[in-house]
Amino acid sequence: MEPRGAEPGAQVKVTFTTTEADIQLPETKRQLLVPADIRRYGLSRILNSESMLDTGAIPFDFFVNGSFLRTSLDEYLQSNSLSLESNVTLQYVRSLIPPVYEASFEHDDWVSAVDVLSGSSPAGRWSGDAFQHGQDRILSASYDGLLRIWNASGQVIATSSSGSHGGHIASIKAAKFLSNTQLASAGMDRTVRVWKYSESDHFSGDLKPTLELYGHTGSIDSLEVDGQSKRILTASADGAVGFWTTSKASAPEADSSLLPGAHLSKRRKVTSSVSAAQRGPLALMSIHNAPATAAVFDPRDRTVAYSVSQDHTVRTIDLTTSIVVSTLTTSHPLLSLCAIPRGTSPLLAAGTSARHITLVDPRVSATTTSVMTLRGHTNKVVVLSASPDNEYALASGSHDGTCRIWDLRSVRPATKDEGLGSVSEPVYVIEREGRDGKKKAIAGDGYKVFDLTWDKLGIFSGGEDKKIQINRGRDITI
Amino acid sequence: MASKLVEKKRKVRVAESESEDEFAGGDFDGILSQSEDEFDVGSDEEHDDDEESANEGSRSEEDDGDSAILSDDIPSYIDGEEAMGKLIEDLPELEIEEPGVDPKRKENDDADRNYRVEKDANGNERYVYDEIDPVYDSDDSDAQGAVNTIGNIPLSFYDSYPHIGYDINGKKIMRPATGDALQSLLDSIEVPKGWTGVTDINTGNPLNLSQEELELVRRVQHGLLTDDLQDPYPETVEYFTSIEEKMPLSAAPEPKRRFLPSKNEAKQVMKLVRAIREGRILPYKPPEERQREEEEKEEVHFDLWQNEEAAAPNPMHIPAPKLPPPGYDMSYNPPEEYLPTKEEIEEWEKLDPEEREKDYMPQKYGALRKVPAWDTLVKERFERSMDLYLAPRVRKNRLNIDPNSLLPKLPSPFELKPFPTVAQTIFRGHEGRVRSVAIDPTGLVVASGGDDGTVRAWELLTGRQVWSVKLSSDEAVNAVRWRPTKDTFILAAATGEDIFLMVPIHPSVAPALDQASRDILAAGFGYATNGHQQTAPGKEPPAKWARPGAKLEDEGVLIRVTVRTTVKVINWHRRGDHFATVSPSGQRSSVAIHTLSKHLTQIPFRKLSGLAQTAAFHPSRPLFFVATQRTIRCYDLQKLELVKVVQPGAKWISSFDIHPGGDNLIVGSYDKRLLWHDLDLSNRPYKTMRFHSEAIRAVRYHRGGLPLFADTSDDGTIQIFHGKVPNDQLEHPTIVPVKILKGHKVVSKLGVLDMDWHPKEPWCVSAGADGTIRLWM
Repeated sequence: MEPRGAEPGAQVKVTFTTTEADIQLPETKRQLLVPADIRRYGLSRILNSESMLDTGAIPFDFFVNGSFLRTSLDEYLQSNSLSLESNVTLQYVRSLIPPVYEASFEHDDWVSAVDVLSGSSPAGRWSGDAFQHGQDRILSASYDGLLRIWNASGQVIATSSSGSHGGHIASIKAAKFLSNTQLASAGMDRTVRVWKYSESDHFSGDLKPTLELYGHTGSIDSLEVDGQSKRILTASADGAVGFWTTSKASAPEADSSLLPGAHLSKRRKVTSSVSAAQRGPLALMSIHNAPATAAVFDPRDRTVAYSVSQDHTVRTIDLTTSIVVSTLTTSHPLLSLCAIPRGTSPLLAAGTSARHITLVDPRVSATTTSVMTLRGHTNKVVVLSASPDNEYALASGSHDGTCRIWDLRSVRPATKDEGLGSVSEPVYVIEREGRDGKKKAIAGDGYKVFDLTWDKLGIFSGGEDKKIQINRGRDITI
Repeated sequence: MASKLVEKKRKVRVAESESEDEFAGGDFDGILSQSEDEFDVGSDEEHDDDEESANEGSRSEEDDGDSAILSDDIPSYIDGEEAMGKLIEDLPELEIEEPGVDPKRKENDDADRNYRVEKDANGNERYVYDEIDPVYDSDDSDAQGAVNTIGNIPLSFYDSYPHIGYDINGKKIMRPATGDALQSLLDSIEVPKGWTGVTDINTGNPLNLSQEELELVRRVQHGLLTDDLQDPYPETVEYFTSIEEKMPLSAAPEPKRRFLPSKNEAKQVMKLVRAIREGRILPYKPPEERQREEEEKEEVHFDLWQNEEAAAPNPMHIPAPKLPPPGYDMSYNPPEEYLPTKEEIEEWEKLDPEEREKDYMPQKYGALRKVPAWDTLVKERFERSMDLYLAPRVRKNRLNIDPNSLLPKLPSPFELKPFPTVAQTIFRGHEGRVRSVAIDPTGLVVASGGDDGTVRAWELLTGRQVWSVKLSSDEAVNAVRWRPTKDTFILAAATGEDIFLMVPIHPSVAPALDQASRDILAAGFGYATNGHQQTAPGKEPPAKWARPGAKLEDEGVLIRVTVRTTVKVINWHRRGDHFATVSPSGQRSSVAIHTLSKHLTQIPFRKLSGLAQTAAFHPSRPLFFVATQRTIRCYDLQKLELVKVVQPGAKWISSFDIHPGGDNLIVGSYDKRLLWHDLDLSNRPYKTMRFHSEAIRAVRYHRGGLPLFADTSDDGTIQIFHGKVPNDQLEHPTIVPVKILKGHKVVSKLGVLDMDWHPKEPWCVSAGADGTIRLWM
């Protein structure tokens, strides 16, 4: 068919809607006749004009029927075989700015965990007034068993001590800032370690182990902290979820059988020059019958935690009683978890080994547990991070060597072989820097992403390429 | 009476004028009746023509009965007499005109002769003939009837005259008399037959159609032939006979002139010759001109077959049977030994032609030119033609079955999810081939052994190597197998003649688990030192259990078991106290069962039929399976007897695995076959699958409750099958190939050497000859 270009001067009736309260249009201005060949930019200009919102220059993006408007309006109408007379409902949101690559910090070994301390990060908020502006720090944990603290310009300020000096004796799998002076790490040596971080000036600092927490009998794959209550939540390959405190006084004694040197036959005697206190868990909940892969606090209620495991379940835990409140079973092993704050109950995003992200409503009252499926990754989704700005965006890191950013509002119904429910596709794909031009490796071989943190400072991701990669994180989605 | 005479005279004149016509028609009655009418009526001339004609018509009707007779007869006496009288008057002229009539006729036709004999002037007899009666067929056309010459004017112009016109001689033709009033009235009432209402212009009488003319009109109207006399289908008169006479009337030989060259033609030829000689005619074109013309005339070739597509040979085509090549005895000059003896010839001739072994007799001709014509050529041709004629020409229909309908109804692979589909982690580190791979019972650690003599432990999901130990610098690690219980973390690895038992140093292993493992391994030392080793004195023990040395012990390798020959296969008993090793090259001691708790090695079989390939324990019962090259034997370990011999039919078994349920067996063979055995059903395979292009190296059932099994092959692929064993004993297992996993490179004709399933999830790891291990999920 001859492409039916809209004759010049054709107009389409559009209705502007939005879900954001601060940029609502008055009722009378919502319907408008616009030229048919208008694109996103023109629509954005119209909205920003004095007669409409009078906002100046906020770039807007437009959803039509659940997907972003990427063509001109009449092309959209044509491709969906709609007539020019039809009324188009445009949902406008603040526009996305691509997560531009900014920097990479080189490591000696695979980077297993990344965390950030900034004014907008949880640790910065927990620090309160103690956090000075500009004191942005990046924490990285590596498979060589060392923690490193970087400043924003990519210099290592502090490195943790090695295994023989009170550090981790094996690879670290997770690390988080508790505040600007305290951080926690956990790894394959089954311990959680709490470190005191002090800076003499802005270019050198010191990491001192203060506490060794014993309890898990398997590698600890995930660690979540709450700086206010000084609590740590861990998920381990032994199927247990650990709940710990960083306070030396309130922590119970550690199980002596788990301590190093407990058995005479143990080959490696850890001769630690720095003696850190050894403590046990507040609660160790062996609730999964397969490796637990992630545990997170409820964003609003710190006495509730959620954990996922390779046994396909998402469990809701009441931390005060250490009882599993509810169990949701999905169809795939779950490897990562992230709680997206939403209303009274968060929405849980769980990354699976089957290359997608399942959004789960953990409420018992929810009629459908699986809300949405995010498809696009080609390997295990091992880390998820919610947007610091809003509750619609999500970043995921996968062993396929990419980080993807998802907008949960962009939804389409699932096709037949995808099963039921609704499906979303990524808004942005962040490739690993340095693999450009190279042939795409099978299964992300050599470029796996192990951890990811999304802060307003940037999207920090670490992986098998021994780098922390920083991409622009601000205003990516709104 | 006077009027009557007048009438009579007139009548005669009229008769005279049209005598031929009247006679010819044979219709005398009209005239007769008319004359009678006239006679009766007298001179009543005021009647018009119509009345007259009507009158006449009615009268003729009345006389119908007689008319037929009258018409055939000779003229009635009145007219006849008159005519006769006239003829007699004309006789002398006739006599002159008609001489020389055959005198014999007189005697013959004496009775009704048509001549009179008179005396002529000389007194001779003179025949005087009757007047010739000019009948219809007469050629005499001179005698014209009275023709009215008034032309094309209405007759009514003559109404006031007594005549109606003039004849050719200018004499008046008188109006015929008309009937009286009564007669005309009667006529007007009854229309006479043949009435036309028209007055004959020649006679002035009403023109009535005669019976004959009416008949003619009727015939024309009905589309019939106009004449009764005319035969529509007359016999063919063959004027020229169609029959070729055998003896022609003229059999004259060809005239001589036919054999002489034609002088005319010679003249024509000479004319041409002369013309050619003088150059007026060119007999052929000069070569240059012809060449030029040929060049000008572009030859147009049509490729009839340019659009023809190569058609596949007709499926019904059956090629003619190939005949054997001719032998010596078919030669025209065969060697002597092929020539038949006299008795043989006699015997051959005695036999019925159909019973003869061969339909010819070898004959010797000294030279090829002496060979006569093939005497049975005609007969052979005839028989061949007869065969073709009698051969059935109906095509036998072959089975017309859709091949797809013969395929078994298998569920779609998508319905059989989950199963591994893509490589998700690649474990790199081994130098050279990876020979064996195993996932530990918790599903977190992968152990592998390869050609570089190292055993390595890897984190499953990330592919991070967590531990490595070099067991041998020159020999490959042929097998690694985890002890299948979760309470320990013990790995067995075989390199060369040594089997090493080790507890990999893994930081995630809790000290308690580590200690438990070490304790189990060490327990046997006490047993051994207590002297319970059951070896006959003076006989070398089948294996030697020892500590491998401090260096290896630091790495976690705690026991070395040395047997006599290279160990290729290790398989643990499900409880973890026993493990079986197979060293195919060790004759008698190829299969050994080791007891971990006692550090004891036993050789269960004194003799094995064939080379042992692999061996395994039954997953639930005290049975032990040993595979030799061709068969798998099942022994009862308690009763120490042979229970069953499974014969997969493979030429060389490479590996087998027992279904966790215990009743099914998969066997992989080096001859590319994968065989599924139902042990309860038969000792022959239930299903044979040949999907690989190279040898199958390893087969493995999923042990975590998923109905999956897989095989690995030297073609670099792993094939995943869905193999569901139903609970109902009567049902057969469902076997569906679901996925071919490709990715491993084939290095020096070796592809994927080993694989293992995750204990719970549908994940598997494979060991490739390309030095990588891959996790598929």
